[in-house]
Amino acid sequence: MIWTSWRLQRLQLLTLLGMLVVGAAAIVLLRSNMVDTITSTGLAQCVTQDVKDCTASEAMTDFRAAWSNLFYLGQAAILGLPALVGVFIGAPLFARELEQGTHVLAFTQSVSRTRWMVSKLVVALVPAVIVLAVLQYLVWWWLSSAGALGPLNNGPYNAINFSIAHASPVGYALFAFALGTFLGVVSRRTLVAMTAGLAAFIAMRFALSAVVDRFAPTQRMETTGDKSLGVETDGSLVLGRGWLDAAGLPVPEDRARTLIQACKAPTGAKPSQEEFLACLPRSGLAKRYAYYIPESQAWQVHLVDLAVFGVLAGLLLVGTAWALRRQS
Amino acid sequence: MTPLSATAVGKRYRDRWAVRDCSFTLPEGKVVALIGPNGAGKSTLLRMAAGLVRPTTGELRTFGAPVRGRIHPDVSFLAQDRPLHRDLTVRELERFCAAMNDRWSTDRVHEVLGLLADVDLDAKVGTLSGGVVTQVAIAMALGRLPRLLLLDEPLADLDPLARDETLRIIMTEVAERETTVVMSSHLLADLREVCDHVLLVDDGLVQVDGDIEEVLARHRILVGPPTGESTVEGTLVSATRTQRQSTLLVRDAGPVPEGWADSEPDLESLAMGYLRASRERRASARRR
Repeated sequence: MIWTSWRLQRLQLLTLLGMLVVGAAAIVLLRSNMVDTITSTGLAQCVTQDVKDCTASEAMTDFRAAWSNLFYLGQAAILGLPALVGVFIGAPLFARELEQGTHVLAFTQSVSRTRWMVSKLVVALVPAVIVLAVLQYLVWWWLSSAGALGPLNNGPYNAINFSIAHASPVGYALFAFALGTFLGVVSRRTLVAMTAGLAAFIAMRFALSAVVDRFAPTQRMETTGDKSLGVETDGSLVLGRGWLDAAGLPVPEDRARTLIQACKAPTGAKPSQEEFLACLPRSGLAKRYAYYIPESQAWQVHLVDLAVFGVLAGLLLVGTAWALRRQS
Repeated sequence: MTPLSATAVGKRYRDRWAVRDCSFTLPEGKVVALIGPNGAGKSTLLRMAAGLVRPTTGELRTFGAPVRGRIHPDVSFLAQDRPLHRDLTVRELERFCAAMNDRWSTDRVHEVLGLLADVDLDAKVGTLSGGVVTQVAIAMALGRLPRLLLLDEPLADLDPLARDETLRIIMTEVAERETTVVMSSHLLADLREVCDHVLLVDDGLVQVDGDIEEVLARHRILVGPPTGESTVEGTLVSATRTQRQSTLLVRDAGPVPEGWADSEPDLESLAMGYLRASRERRASARRR
């Protein structure tokens, strides 16, 4: 069974292998090239420290001009790979058989439809996920050796950084793959499954990106109005914030805005900073609060992301099996 | 054991019944000709027997076991469009089928392919001619060592020589392994040589079911004057009338009346008679 699935998937699997070899070689070369540049231009200390403390600002500008497009390319590859897995491996997996009628040959042998389906799924999916994971690791390894000079400086919750880190790409790939196979079985048309699958995948990625944060465990922080919360600048993901009155109840957003406005310009003359801060608790804005996920907890959000997309993928695969059993 | 039986089997596609209320029991070790015009439901019937299509009503049984969504291990099916993987070589295809079956005889496949005029085992299936593809597909079906072989239009795209070879393979299979064969075809003349049982389907219904010799012996073709039709006894199946004479296909005919010539029909004229009759029934139903 493994051989038969491998034989029918040979083209895709060899393409994957080619992508892995070419991609890995390119990344290793780029990285060593980049590390050389960093050392020779004396930027080494800028990699680990905050960009603001980097003294070699001219070299840094040059470095960024030379490398930022390549960084984007590396990120785009990992961002796009799940979609490619769905379009070129998931969608044609069953759609091509149904389109050409070759499923009839498989269905009239003694293995069950479910076993046939599982063996095809495993042979198509496992190598794709492995290749994706390896390339993702290599890109991360490359980007992290650029440190603060590269895109990782934007923090783990930056939309692109988040999408290419930890378990998320695997979750997206599983989902894209399952979506492709499901649409392939339902539509029985390779081209329809490929295009509709791509569109649905992109739509779902956008739609779910906001949902995922809500399921992640958040932390709450409160400070008095004169102190900054600090979470806006330390790389945390802030999910909600606002003001509390003296009783500790949240103040509605538009009311808070009016009150702040009133404190800013009480009598027409611009108040000093101290007057302004003193005005706030008097008006009923006693404290500030925020719900946030600290930078160090990003892995939890990734696991939630994997769970959401993984569950959807599982449901779609069950749907695929159901549709295949009904297929004639 | 009965290789294939149907009880009140029907299959509806949206608002059209492809097969309606079909009931039959096929005898073991026979070669059954499944005949009927295009769209009569022959393919649907065979696909249901192979577990590819679920009947809307009724039930099919192969070797006593109800067909439920998968093919019986003792049954092999040749689909009408010969769904083989075109980019596999014949050898790879054989390996593919072997891997998908618990019981498989590579020797049997090679024996069958060896009987055929030079099939290159390393040629891709897609490069073979339509006739050779059919023969390869039959070889793969026989590799399962079936006791019931369902063939949907096995002779359709074969030239006369290949048709002869293919029929010979099927007949050898029947003789050596006592396999029951059901084959659908339009080519009635070829079927007559090899088949001993006929199942005539039209408009989704079984019109004739029986041993060919018996069925033919029960029918007469009567040719006589157009005015004297009332003198003919028996069940009139169909008639063609010209100004000068009437040709009648009659089941269970009585004694031949004066002025009429009588002969036993061949399979082709029998099938034609029944098909013409059901077409007329349909036409008159539409007029009403």
